[in-house]
Amino acid sequence: MAPNGLKGLKITAANRWLALMAKHEMDFILSGILQAFQLLISGNAEAYSAVMATLQVSTGSMAISLILGVPAGFLLGYFEFPFKRSLRTVVDTLLALPTVLIGLLVYAFVSKRGLLGEFGMLFTLTGIAVGQAMLALPIVIALTATAVESIDRHLRVVLISLGANRRQLLLSSLWEARFGILAAAVTAYGRVLTEVGISMMVGGNIKWHTRTITTAIALETNKGQFALGIALGLILLFLAFVVNFGVSRLRRKA
Amino acid sequence: MWIGGLNMTPIYQINALEHRYGNQAPALRVERMQIAPNRIVGLVGPNGSGKSTLLKILAFIFKPSRGQVLFEGRAAAPFDEAVRAKVTILPQDAFLMKRSVFDNVAYGLKVRGNGKTDIASRVTDALARVGLDADFAARPWHALSGGEAQRVALAARLALRPKVLLMDEPTASVDAKSARRIRAAALESRAQWGTTLVIASHDLHWLYGVCDDVVHLHRGRLLGQGLKTVINGPWQQDANGQWGRNLSDGSRLNVPPPPTPDAAAVIDADALTFADPVTPPAAGSYHMPGAITRMILLKGQGIAATVAVGDAQFTVSLSQDAAIANKVYPGRTVVLQAQDSGWRWLS
Repeated sequence: MAPNGLKGLKITAANRWLALMAKHEMDFILSGILQAFQLLISGNAEAYSAVMATLQVSTGSMAISLILGVPAGFLLGYFEFPFKRSLRTVVDTLLALPTVLIGLLVYAFVSKRGLLGEFGMLFTLTGIAVGQAMLALPIVIALTATAVESIDRHLRVVLISLGANRRQLLLSSLWEARFGILAAAVTAYGRVLTEVGISMMVGGNIKWHTRTITTAIALETNKGQFALGIALGLILLFLAFVVNFGVSRLRRKA
Repeated sequence: MWIGGLNMTPIYQINALEHRYGNQAPALRVERMQIAPNRIVGLVGPNGSGKSTLLKILAFIFKPSRGQVLFEGRAAAPFDEAVRAKVTILPQDAFLMKRSVFDNVAYGLKVRGNGKTDIASRVTDALARVGLDADFAARPWHALSGGEAQRVALAARLALRPKVLLMDEPTASVDAKSARRIRAAALESRAQWGTTLVIASHDLHWLYGVCDDVVHLHRGRLLGQGLKTVINGPWQQDANGQWGRNLSDGSRLNVPPPPTPDAAAVIDADALTFADPVTPPAAGSYHMPGAITRMILLKGQGIAATVAVGDAQFTVSLSQDAAIANKVYPGRTVVLQAQDSGWRWLS
């Protein structure tokens, strides 16, 4: 009968697929994961070099983007001025800035022929950090502005009525938006941590020097070295989990 | 308008004040108003009558579009040292900062920066005034009920021991127990520190019970003190040329000729009396059949009775003796008599 025949066909197809998996892909993915854990436990120097490079550039880029972005976002969200809405639209558009475009721009500026060529930032961690800061800045500005805008309109009345002067009014308003601003920082950090375009183009993926987690994964995959790629991927996943866990905690508080 | 004694420096003096939001019609217009210290002043009026605007201007939250507010005889503006932390307002919606209860109550003391004040004991004292235990101080801002949040908000103001406490519908959205506590704590602050209270509320029972003066606001203007009734138009002429308004129950409320058909009529409680239903009205007075719905014991002496004439609610004042003699009690049908000269018009 037709249904039985179909059933048989299904089972056969599934079995054959499983058999294929076992023979080819599953083999090296499973062994890749096992090797990855071995690499992580044994403290593979190449993996940890990439992790350190990633942490260095992301710390640098976050420092730049927060120092510039939080005050700018606060101004954008707190005060009323002409063309505020247009400026908001520009910032929101920059949220979608592709990393390869930033990579191209930074490359053009910091290469020998570029305006900033004399600083020798091409193929350095500093160069990557500058590019990643450009990536993070619109995120920090836009989300900080949103956090400041969403402060309750009653806050101003409350602060003035309790005797705050102008400076205290500003600082206390900023403090009230702290969870939203932290969430903005963490969101930007997650983006910076996982980007590959800027690191690859501006950093050049130089081993022991500018090779970050993401560029290392891209390279190792091309080489067919899945173990190191997976090991680094697991670290990245873990970092991303920590970051997102932080964001969701802050969102609930804000 | 003068509220309170004339022989002392008023705590507030308003000169030619006008406030507009954006390009709209003025939300508030006060030619002249004085409030003597240590009074309890009630503000009454429908939503949008300018109560909140007046309170925020008196609290120096923002500057009026035009005119001057003098505090203790001197012109003052928002953020002035002379008014900071001396004048405070409790807004209608409880709003706490994202901090612990302690930090919320201590905020005003901390920004004032008086090193000599024992902040912890002030906070405990302020919380006790609104009926909250000292261990409440450790609670985070999000772990409070609406009534508790409003009490904490009031405690934050009381910790300052303010000269003026302005309250905008302080008990509109809280439970009965919190409302009792809030009222008691406000009155206590006045008794202990001589705090001047200005309270906007729809709760006429409470206001008439505790206030030295009750001021009516209507469409951004002061109607003066005392018990009043405001009846909105539009007014129409009937076949005989008599001005009046048809009420929802089918009866008609007759009034003297208004200046414009949209003007609002104001009649003082003193200008209304109970009439004999059998005798027809004398020339120049109007009879209005209605029923007594509510009676309030006033703070000084006497009684205010609310008489429903169709959908219009009139407030009549009378002495206790008159109430007994006329058998005035809720539920009784009566005929109100208004003197022609008792009507005033607002356009």
